[in-house]
Amino acid sequence: MTPKIRSLFVVPLVALACALPGAAAAEGRLSLYNWGDYISPEILERFGKEFNVKVTLDTYGSNEEMLAKIQAGATGYDIVFPSVHMHDIMAKLGLLAKTDLNKMPGFANIDRAALRAKSDPAGEYCLPYAWGTVGIVYNTKKIPELKSWKQFFEYARKNPKKVAMLDDMRETLGVGLILNGKSVNARKPEDVKAAQEIILKHKPDIGAFTYEVIPLVQSGDLHAAHYFVGAMMYVLEKPDTLGYVIPEEGATMYQEDICVLKSAPNKANAMKFLEFMMRPEISVLNTIQQKNGSVNLKAMELLPPALRNDARINPPASVRAKLQIFEDLGKDLKTYDRAWTKVKTN
Amino acid sequence: MSPRSSRRWALAGLLTPATLLLAGCFLVPLGIMATYSVLSPGLYGGVEWEFYPYNYGRVLGAPLGDAEEFDPVYAGILLRSLRLAAVTVVVCLCLCYPAAFWVSRLPGARKNLVLFLVTLPFFANLIIRVYAWMLVLRPTGVLTRAFDAVGLGAHAPDLMFTEGAVVIGLAYVLLPFMFLPLYASIEKLDPALLQASSDLGASPLQGFLRVTLPLTAPGILGGSVLVFIPAFGNFVVPALMGGAKVMLVGNTIEQQFLAARNWPFGAALAMLVLGIILIAMLAYAWRFGRVDGAVRP
Repeated sequence: MTPKIRSLFVVPLVALACALPGAAAAEGRLSLYNWGDYISPEILERFGKEFNVKVTLDTYGSNEEMLAKIQAGATGYDIVFPSVHMHDIMAKLGLLAKTDLNKMPGFANIDRAALRAKSDPAGEYCLPYAWGTVGIVYNTKKIPELKSWKQFFEYARKNPKKVAMLDDMRETLGVGLILNGKSVNARKPEDVKAAQEIILKHKPDIGAFTYEVIPLVQSGDLHAAHYFVGAMMYVLEKPDTLGYVIPEEGATMYQEDICVLKSAPNKANAMKFLEFMMRPEISVLNTIQQKNGSVNLKAMELLPPALRNDARINPPASVRAKLQIFEDLGKDLKTYDRAWTKVKTN
Repeated sequence: MSPRSSRRWALAGLLTPATLLLAGCFLVPLGIMATYSVLSPGLYGGVEWEFYPYNYGRVLGAPLGDAEEFDPVYAGILLRSLRLAAVTVVVCLCLCYPAAFWVSRLPGARKNLVLFLVTLPFFANLIIRVYAWMLVLRPTGVLTRAFDAVGLGAHAPDLMFTEGAVVIGLAYVLLPFMFLPLYASIEKLDPALLQASSDLGASPLQGFLRVTLPLTAPGILGGSVLVFIPAFGNFVVPALMGGAKVMLVGNTIEQQFLAARNWPFGAALAMLVLGIILIAMLAYAWRFGRVDGAVRP
């Protein structure tokens, strides 16, 4: 999940008070802190109604933003949705509550392969939530079919400034690493430097580093842009104008987990929410709205075949094998910081 | 208690809220920033409580650890930010100076209307206004269509995601800060003085250079400082209109606090920005802060 810049625009406090008759009489509260536009409002409404709980939702635009706020002492949140590497970091920092969710009955529905956090291999802390790829969204009227990063950059050379990449240190340097056949978690300075050189080489042809590309690709101002699978929401609405592809060379993938904070004021409700999210019929509602990958095997069975069989959302094993997920780099993050600053200034 | 000392107590009482506000909301955070800027970065954000003065050296290009070599990349970012802020000031000044003269000569009611219009953009959110500019500047946008309409379609400039777009965006956002101080000093200008200079044989140019310009200098400098400071630290406009290809010091600080998780280095950069702004403010205060008589001939 990567829409970082949303934090700047989306009203930071989307109070989604579940307005049901007698909400004032709600027995309890549940306070979620999630990425912008990353959960179906219907889910929150249903949960609020069923358990007579007043649900509030605040949003953030990046893992780091969320961590910085929690570290700075923000209290009052019950549940956060960190990416897997941030799940590990938060575990290391002792911010997460042990939930023993693997003892809940619904846990049987969860894909064991989705227990990706190294700090939580048995699923004692956080519930895998959803996953997706980071690929390329493009305007099919300008480029009938886009397949690879190689084609993307060749197109950019002939049509300078008509493509964009993400304004994201690790994602964009990650493309350079993938093109060099390196791991997106490479720690060797020379590997990161080589990735930096690749992006710098193409920089004159790149129109912008930005997250705000969907309207521009739709209007044809940009022809193709590095973007995550969330683009499928728009691609499925305008299939004659927009396309999304997981590049042949490989791509990064992300997964977020639902974690209960140690400081959660409404821990009992938070636990109920985890159980609620394990229900296939609830989980599938979210996947239908979000158009991303599910980690709930029972929910996958309920998914409309058009979504379940869409290889752009649920790629076959051969493509999945080429997906890489970010790990926490600890001190070596500094190498990426320097490389990214160089990319952005030269 | 004598009447004088009771008045002093009353004054102290009345000033207490402002003093507390300044101390609590300005000095304390500033102190935290200054302290953090000489500490060692925590692995996951935050700081380690050990003295670490190298953040300032890194700004100037000193290598940090074996992964780095001497590289004045951050000094380059500071210089570029200074340059863009200066260009923004000049653009705002060129637009506002004649406009302020025109407005000051308008009859009362129309004058008030124009002044209201100048402040009108403040009623809309900054992000929305910047987005509106993107709709104008993008290749399929209003600007291109306007060129098409007059048959110059082939010459339409593609400004989207360029440094030019950043200057346009900054100048647009900060225009009122230049206009209002300029207007205030031009409004006060007594036309009789210009008449007198012309009676004494000064050419219009001499009249402008030796009467108008010195008398409006406080407005020029006040406006310039007010535009320069926010232009220097702005990071929304370069991110959106520059396509984040032009990295300015505001974006760098944001990157250090979030993606790079290096709060002390971000704090050091922020302190440097503060220092540069402080120098600009002190220069202004030193020149014009005393009494109006100091500049008035």
